[in-house]
Amino acid sequence: MFKLLFKSIKSRLLPISLVTITLMASMVLLLSIERIQQATEQGFNQSISGVDAIVGPRSSSLEVVLYTVFHLGRPTNNITMQTVDDIRTRDDIDWLVPIALGDSHKGFRVIATEPNYFKHVKYAGDKLLTMSSGKVFQEISEAVVGADVAKKLDYRVGSDIYITHGSSDAIGKKHDDFSFKVSGVLNKTGTPIDQAVFVDLKGYELIHIGWQSGKKIFGLDRLDVSSIPKEDLTPKTVTAAFVGLKSQLTLFSFARELRQYHKEAISAVIPGVALSELWSIVGMVDKGFELLSWIIIAISLISMITLIISSIENRKREMTIYRANGATPLYLASLVVLETILIALSAIIGAVIFVTIITHLASGQLNIALGITPEFQWVSLEEIKVFAIILIAGVLSSLIPAAIVFKKSLHQGLN
Amino acid sequence: MILKTSNLKYKYKNGKTINFPDVGLNPGDKVLINGISGSGKTTFLNLIAGAIKIQDGDIELASSQYSSMSSSDLDRIRANHIGYVFQTLNLIPFLSVLENIALGVKFSKTRSSNIGSIDQEAVRLVDSLGLDKSILNNSVNNLSVGQQQRVAVARALLGRPNLILADEPTSALDVDSKNRFLKELVQTFDPSSQAILMVSHDLSLAPYFDTVIDFGKANV
Repeated sequence: MFKLLFKSIKSRLLPISLVTITLMASMVLLLSIERIQQATEQGFNQSISGVDAIVGPRSSSLEVVLYTVFHLGRPTNNITMQTVDDIRTRDDIDWLVPIALGDSHKGFRVIATEPNYFKHVKYAGDKLLTMSSGKVFQEISEAVVGADVAKKLDYRVGSDIYITHGSSDAIGKKHDDFSFKVSGVLNKTGTPIDQAVFVDLKGYELIHIGWQSGKKIFGLDRLDVSSIPKEDLTPKTVTAAFVGLKSQLTLFSFARELRQYHKEAISAVIPGVALSELWSIVGMVDKGFELLSWIIIAISLISMITLIISSIENRKREMTIYRANGATPLYLASLVVLETILIALSAIIGAVIFVTIITHLASGQLNIALGITPEFQWVSLEEIKVFAIILIAGVLSSLIPAAIVFKKSLHQGLN
Repeated sequence: MILKTSNLKYKYKNGKTINFPDVGLNPGDKVLINGISGSGKTTFLNLIAGAIKIQDGDIELASSQYSSMSSSDLDRIRANHIGYVFQTLNLIPFLSVLENIALGVKFSKTRSSNIGSIDQEAVRLVDSLGLDKSILNNSVNNLSVGQQQRVAVARALLGRPNLILADEPTSALDVDSKNRFLKELVQTFDPSSQAILMVSHDLSLAPYFDTVIDFGKANV
């Protein structure tokens, strides 16, 4: 039966190929949307862990998470170091790491922070940041670079780097009077950390001496940098602070109390809650795309059945010859159903291959755009369910042409 | 006796009814049914082939009564005991000559078991039907109409079914091809176990047959 089926399909290769490609393309669309959305969500969720709250200027919680964790967008305001110190002394605080953003290095974001950043900020659940070479910065003139930065710019321990004022080389001016020396290169994390340059907060403050309103008034070359006491290099403001609490049970009371902090308008953002907001927004769009994809799959299945029904008339002679030689109506109907299964299976296999290629390409694009490196698997359980639904729908709809063939062969003579 | 029809009557959807004459075929018989268009020749073949169900009367083929058989039983009877040749377009264009011939035994273990090797039997049949065995692996699209009809006969004879039914198989052939076709058909079939029942409106075929039944005189 299979030999006859394959030969029959081969004789109608063009229309069957087109229908298979249509069905495959619709599945590729559905699965690509699903995979990229899930992988992006997973990538985002894995980008920060171990941080209970992000303290920042009062604004949209999503905005705070996007610029502090994912380096997307710009901070609109800062919080004072006095506020940070006030929070640091609270009883419910286990640890606190301030961060200052705003500068960049060759397109990569610069994060000014304290060395304990690398001790407390984790990723992908409970993974600690580790060095592929070197160590965490200890001096104000040292920097740690993410894995992608080191790879793209060919940096290693000992490389000198200059920081640009502002978020882009094109619009910013270089802090060309002070260079940082790379003290360590981080291992790949698959998060925006890979695309960041980390410097000490005091070093960051130092390079901004002589700058006012984004313009350099005088250079560091006029100063004896070594004579500046380190205490004087503590910044007056930072962008935000990552906070770890002694007990997660105090998280919401901590957030509530910070909203009532009277000296400054600040808020404590819970990363998981903010990301949930993001996914609820993205999810609605995603559902729309998903619905559209299912509609396209349904149209593809209808066109497949239309093709099979229209080919029945052309295959009338073929069927009659089989009948004359003893083929039963059930055999002929089975040929039609098997043809549908074969088309659907080919489309599914093609879709898996194409989706894998597309998601592999998308992985690179997501890394460039969002700094995350999502991991895709070949076929997930959810996808197997989707394939099963499509296969069953295909088989069920093929019963229509199969029934037509069955009825015709039963009631028509050998004419 | 291979075939025996008795009191066969068939009523079409338009109300027209045909009473078919009783026909009996023994091994070696060659019967031609002659008649004008609409005389029920093809319907008669379809009834014998079990492709349409009998409404009245009965058919006995290989000791089986059609009136007591289901559709699937009739399919099995056709697969095991009948070789069928159409007027034209007998062959499936995407199969080779050999694959078309092999269809004759594809649906019947009985016919398969009657022969040793399909390939050898196909060579024997095409050879005795005056075809070159080199065509076996060719596409059927390259054959002339006469060659196609002979390939169809080879398929109908493969596995030695008891009854060869042929529906106007010579209507698309010129006189020479027609005579050659019939000569080779009657030479190739096995008179010890097979019988031929052919329908045609062409009475010039009569010399190749033992009996001619005129359906023009059937009770319409």
